[in-house]
Amino acid sequence: MKAAAHPLARGQRPGLGQERAWHIFLWANTFGLGALFVVAIASLLWKGGAKATFLTWYPTPLSGAPGEQGMRVLLGLCFYGVLGWGVFRLWPGRARLSAGRQRHLQLALIALVVMAALAFNDHLPRFLLLMPKEGSAGGGVGPMLWNTVTAAVVSGLVTLPIGVGAALYLRYYARPSPILSALRVALDTLASLPSIVYGLFGFLIFVVQLRAGYSILAGALVLGLLNLPLVVSVSEESLASVPRALEEASLALGATTAQTIFRVSLPVAWNGILSALVLSTGRVFAESAPLIMTAGTTVSRVQAYAWDPSRGGATLAVHLWYVNNVGLSPDRAEVSAATAAVLVMLIALTNTLAERLRRR
Amino acid sequence: MSAEVSLLPVSSDPPHRRRSFGEPLARLVFTFAALLVLLSTLMVLGFLAQRGLIGLWAIGPAELLLGADWRPELGRFGGRPLLFGTAVSAALALLLGGAPAVLAAIYSVELAPAPARRAMERLMALAAAVPSVVYGWLALVHLVPAAAQVGGVLYGDGAPGGEGLAVSGVLLGLMIGPTVFLLSASAFAKVPKDLREASLALGASPLHGALYVVFPAAWRGVVGALLLGFARAAGETMAVQMVIGGARQLPLHLFTPTTTIATQLVADMQNARPGTLASDALYAMALVLLVFSALLVVFTRRLLLGGQK
Repeated sequence: MKAAAHPLARGQRPGLGQERAWHIFLWANTFGLGALFVVAIASLLWKGGAKATFLTWYPTPLSGAPGEQGMRVLLGLCFYGVLGWGVFRLWPGRARLSAGRQRHLQLALIALVVMAALAFNDHLPRFLLLMPKEGSAGGGVGPMLWNTVTAAVVSGLVTLPIGVGAALYLRYYARPSPILSALRVALDTLASLPSIVYGLFGFLIFVVQLRAGYSILAGALVLGLLNLPLVVSVSEESLASVPRALEEASLALGATTAQTIFRVSLPVAWNGILSALVLSTGRVFAESAPLIMTAGTTVSRVQAYAWDPSRGGATLAVHLWYVNNVGLSPDRAEVSAATAAVLVMLIALTNTLAERLRRR
Repeated sequence: MSAEVSLLPVSSDPPHRRRSFGEPLARLVFTFAALLVLLSTLMVLGFLAQRGLIGLWAIGPAELLLGADWRPELGRFGGRPLLFGTAVSAALALLLGGAPAVLAAIYSVELAPAPARRAMERLMALAAAVPSVVYGWLALVHLVPAAAQVGGVLYGDGAPGGEGLAVSGVLLGLMIGPTVFLLSASAFAKVPKDLREASLALGASPLHGALYVVFPAAWRGVVGALLLGFARAAGETMAVQMVIGGARQLPLHLFTPTTTIATQLVADMQNARPGTLASDALYAMALVLLVFSALLVVFTRRLLLGGQK
């Protein structure tokens, strides 16, 4: 006669069926959530990516806006640079070369990229070069890319010094005081505000009070403010992770706090601080509501590629909204798909870069 | 090796004394940066509160919060449709996106193999960074037509376009899902290992330990994640603006076009003449949104700090 299995034996416990059901439910929930985002992002890249990266054999004509050639060379440097870097990283034969050979290969690739950017800058993806079109099909996002870059640079120039300065104050100089607690509350408040509130503030200050009209400068300043809590907290975190022994050694050698900060703490924490800058750049790429309120939704043909940040202009994210809600172009589905694909690629790039910087 | 002691003349001042003007300068610069942060926060709050309180005073809080008719061009500033739209769409988001995200977080932290967990976390970090307009556009293209069909089946002619709270809720759920996932996953990961091992040693299965030991131990973090998700959903603007329809009315059901505070702000602000009551009413609504999300975040901070003590 076969002995009856013990009630707690493997596979026989009471409640096992219920537990299996829970397992399956949780698994399906997790897998479903992940699959949803994978499908959404992949379909986005699939649909828009083809249009956004379509290279032509015949040159794209200049639109006549001043400064366009410079913008094309810059775009070419980025585009061919990413292409060359990808080929270099993915090429399986790379590991067999000596370090010196790899170095030579890198230099040759850099020279090749520069030459390609100078020679073939009218063969870049058409979508990235063309002017947007209001009433007809076939528009691109050239000026929007340029506006996005301008906004990112200006807001980085504002956020980085102030944010890192405040983080250094908090880490090395702050004593418990009412001002310190007020500063903490202020940072928490800034981090909690919805982005539209920043937009309203920028609108009130720059457009209403100063009568400066819509400008990328206003948008970038507002985004710099929006990014401050992020930059302060990430910088403070990476400053806190500098080994105490290093700083104490520097102080013991007679260096002042300021010398220790500039010679020891900042160099050690620099990668973390850069990752904060990269993350905040990603937020400049992504943000739309504050920019609509402060930088406007249109692009002026004459100033499309100007350096002057006091021009108004739409960034990529704003353009995606504008094309769908206000614009009249008949191919808005294609333009939106390609714009969204470019945006997601940029965001993925900044995210990966920030991750790498933080790990290093 | 006393012979190695330097016999060079030693300055009476240690080196840092001679260069000490750099030290107060650095302190000044860093303090100035910190004060700049404080000052700009006060400026944001001050300017918005000034305009908003003018509007609040002129309209009256009862009318602004409870009135059912929002038509600035007729001088009617009843904010109930806006508040209702904001609250319901954010609550739907919590239900449709927040809850699955928490369950997915506990599964991937406690039960899934490590590579799956890492892949999920990277995916969610990317998904959390995808611009909100991109989600809005995806919802406009894919969800709105689907919702039009569902609404047509449910309500016939009462749901013409499919735009409304249902689509907004699903969209906001998708948008806050990754954030809630990341925050609650980090809360679960912070639970001490002893608790898990004690539960296993008592004979509980990993699933039992996850649901009855780890989950209760991390409840503050989970509630914090959900509250931050709620605040983000309530403040989301452009994506919701693309799919909610923008009709300034109380919705009959989930498929009626309606509006939220944030979408109404961006839609009306650029047309409202500065200084008029219409523009001040919008600032008053912005003030409501600001106070609400600030309170929510402060409460969350308190909750999380309470867990650390």
